[in-house]
Amino acid sequence: MFMGKVVGTVWSTVKWEGLHGLKFLVVRPYHLADLAPHLLVRPTPYTMYDGVVAADVLGAGPGEDVIVAYGHSARVAVEPELPDGKLPSRPIDAAVVAIVDHFHVESAAQDEE
Amino acid sequence: MMLGRVIGEVWATRKNPRIEGRKALLVAALAQDGDRRTPTGEVVVAFDSVGARIGHVVTVTWGSGARAVFSGPDNRWVLVDAAVARIVDAVSVERDGKEVEERED
Repeated sequence: MFMGKVVGTVWSTVKWEGLHGLKFLVVRPYHLADLAPHLLVRPTPYTMYDGVVAADVLGAGPGEDVIVAYGHSARVAVEPELPDGKLPSRPIDAAVVAIVDHFHVESAAQDEE
Repeated sequence: MMLGRVIGEVWATRKNPRIEGRKALLVAALAQDGDRRTPTGEVVVAFDSVGARIGHVVTVTWGSGARAVFSGPDNRWVLVDAAVARIVDAVSVERDGKEVEERED
């Protein structure tokens, strides 16, 4: 999972049947330089995608911080029901699982202790 | 699995009910960098299972391995793709042909 800011929405009319009814957001992952620059020993590249497309069933909007899960957990996240003996099978691999209220990152002062 | 350092915590009230009660940690990935381990810049969110706190060096387990931390044998509907399942005491690395243990305090 990662935490990121919602920066946009993806619209599409032609799509696989199982994707109908899902909203898709563009989420920009937070880098250590955004959260705690004092912990960086040297400038490091942004290794993750600048914009991850994630399915959303929570109603997150642009400007909000969200937690995005990948893989099997993303497919679990968009299914409201748990049918017996079935596996989640929609063709997605990233989904919003929480809308962040606030987060706390260790401060430069704590780091010096 | 990833070696990382806990740098923060995240709180959310609007969330998938399947992650109710989980504690979300911000973990900065570490890479061996000569004599020390330094942040790569990547930050992930992982659910805690061992009481890890800010400053702890931990390992993050991904995928179905992470689901296994929070469930029994049937983990098909568990929602977690990264789990903190171990607090690291020390890491041994090879340096100049010798094994050197580095403690994380």
